[in-house]
Amino acid sequence: MTAPIRILFVDDEERILRSLALQFRRQYQVSTESDPRRALQRLQSEPVHILVSDQRMPQMSGAELLAQAREIAPQTLRILLTGYSDLDAAVEALNSGGIFRYLTKPWDQQEMAFTLRQAAEIAARQAQVEVLPSASLLAAPLNVLLLDDDPQTLAVVGDFCVAGGHRLSRAGNLAEALAVLNAQSVDLLVSDLKLAGEEVAPLLKTLAQAHPRLLSLVVTPFCDTQALLRLINEAQIFRYLPKPIRRGLFEKGLLAAAEQALLWRAQPAQVVGRLAQVPREERERERVGSLLGMLGRLRERLIA
Amino acid sequence: MTTASALARLLKPVTPLAPEMSIADVADRLLTPQHKAFLSLPIVDAAGRPLGLVSRSTLQDIFMQRFGRDLRGRHPVQEVMNPAPLVVSLDTSLEEAAKQITGQLHYPITEDFILVDGQGAYRGLGTVLDLLKAMEARIAQRNAVLRRALVELKESQTQLVQSEKMASLGQMVAGVAHELNTPLAYVKNNLQLLRELSAPLFELAEAQAALADCLADPGCDEARLASALDHAAKAREQAAPELLVDDLEQLFGDTLYGLEQIGELVVGLKDFARLDRAMSEEVDLNDCVRSALLIARNSIKDKAETVLQLGELPCIPCAPSQVNQVLLNLLTNAAQAIDGFGQIRVKTWAEEAAVFVSVQDNGRGMSAQVLARIFDPFFTTKPVGQGTGLGLSISFKIIQDHGGLIRVASEPGRGTRFLIRLPRPLAAELATALKRSA
Repeated sequence: MTAPIRILFVDDEERILRSLALQFRRQYQVSTESDPRRALQRLQSEPVHILVSDQRMPQMSGAELLAQAREIAPQTLRILLTGYSDLDAAVEALNSGGIFRYLTKPWDQQEMAFTLRQAAEIAARQAQVEVLPSASLLAAPLNVLLLDDDPQTLAVVGDFCVAGGHRLSRAGNLAEALAVLNAQSVDLLVSDLKLAGEEVAPLLKTLAQAHPRLLSLVVTPFCDTQALLRLINEAQIFRYLPKPIRRGLFEKGLLAAAEQALLWRAQPAQVVGRLAQVPREERERERVGSLLGMLGRLRERLIA
Repeated sequence: MTTASALARLLKPVTPLAPEMSIADVADRLLTPQHKAFLSLPIVDAAGRPLGLVSRSTLQDIFMQRFGRDLRGRHPVQEVMNPAPLVVSLDTSLEEAAKQITGQLHYPITEDFILVDGQGAYRGLGTVLDLLKAMEARIAQRNAVLRRALVELKESQTQLVQSEKMASLGQMVAGVAHELNTPLAYVKNNLQLLRELSAPLFELAEAQAALADCLADPGCDEARLASALDHAAKAREQAAPELLVDDLEQLFGDTLYGLEQIGELVVGLKDFARLDRAMSEEVDLNDCVRSALLIARNSIKDKAETVLQLGELPCIPCAPSQVNQVLLNLLTNAAQAIDGFGQIRVKTWAEEAAVFVSVQDNGRGMSAQVLARIFDPFFTTKPVGQGTGLGLSISFKIIQDHGGLIRVASEPGRGTRFLIRLPRPLAAELATALKRSA
């Protein structure tokens, strides 16, 4: 590794910062800030590869900080480290902050070290490759797969595809979805968490591993914080939009996803900042394993 | 259905009189045992339509006159009947019938009322006394229903108060759990770090012990000594104890601080709940404020800074866990009323007859309409499922039971201020107030 990986920890409790700094100062170049406003200033003046922030701070929330950090330094990998399982914060951190991981306090030392190592690997890869400009490709059509029979979702996604010239496919159950995924290279996946009575989460987690360039947007009436945290960490979903759908928000999410997909399409694989955690629950891990097998052909084509 | 049949139950199928029947014959009829219970008899035409009622008192008036019976006994009864009697349809409800009858009745009561069917044909007589009895039975029945409803209402109110208590308890527990998380997180991490960092120190100690053994042993040769020296030097370099001193010092300090924090929170929780103490005692309200703030800190921290102006207070007798509940409620409401980051000012002071606590925020404030209803049970401005709407009404009741007052002033856009006044009464006076609330 040429340049050291730089990590910035932000937390209003100094003792948390000292503890984290002491844990990681040997592997990384660690800096800390107890005021998120100063953290933003620092981001403007020096390179930071990984930003780890607390959620509840007096000056601004972690989700807010990460959203602003994304504007200042989009390449930085953002991680939320919080003692709260707060759905709104998680949704905001994902949708506006584009977080890489959502970690909870008290953290497990090994898990934290592992997560930072994964982030550092991505950061190192990204540092080696030059990011190519992709403006010329912005008009290219995308393949969109919709896994939701809600007419409202279809209306928004349909309009989006017509307006952008994208190709829309639909699947009514997981088997159909797998068939579509095997037949064509899907760029965007819009899905509820339930499809014809089946759980979609394992498929999302599988795709995150098998196809890191595919972006998934989840639209769902379910609001379970723990499930969302696992979707962030294990499926690396791009957006989480609660139903009933707010059209403006949904459209914005689709446009952002299209932009990201086109950007990634133009880049070498190393630049794609996506690396999902293996599902923690054993049954789900097995399910993802078997789905990975079913997606074998897709993977082969990707490698080819 | 039931009310229509209620009127039918009052029906007495009295044989009606023809209009041309003589007054004397009517008088004889009135004297027969089966007609004794009636004040009057009905007169019905050939088609079955009621024409009027002739009352016992009318005939008595006639017969009381000298030669009354001789003079008028042969006249048809039609001449002396009341041609506008009370006529009630059988499909009228009991209440409606009662209203109609009492509305038209005159003292003294001299007549019964005629019951007719839907077509207006005569069916029988009803007496006022029977009607009164039926009404009384109905009212008794209604009362029983109302009493049952009242009991049920009281039970569900108790349940709601309980659920509000559980909700604020849950909020408190969640708050403290989160508050514990932060020190717990670094204490745990620090201990793991201490273990890692201290491992090389043991190796160093071992290497130095081996070197010391070597030096003390006269039989130790040059090569072994050199190796021991080298080993000790390397271990020393590895452990770098002089560099570790500050780190370890810091880690121990932070860890102890974290444990103290955890301890303080646990004590705070115990103080707040005061499960082990009786209702009435000498309480410093400032302690209640501090205790509620400790519990609420977590929900306030990212919403507002708190400014405390705690004056010196005399101890007053009160139920601290109840007062704490009120203060927690006011503090969390204040935090929730703030958009962005604001300020919550808590002030206490004492006057001759009372002690005061004011909780003031610079949040959204409330309109006059909202303000007028905030102490109403079930009134809430929070989304469904987020508030029981009982917090302030229970707070109001708690302060009221303490013989105190809770007042509120608010201005949209400027903020809200709650003022609690708790009296410094004679101990005996308060004891009864508390007993009532218990």
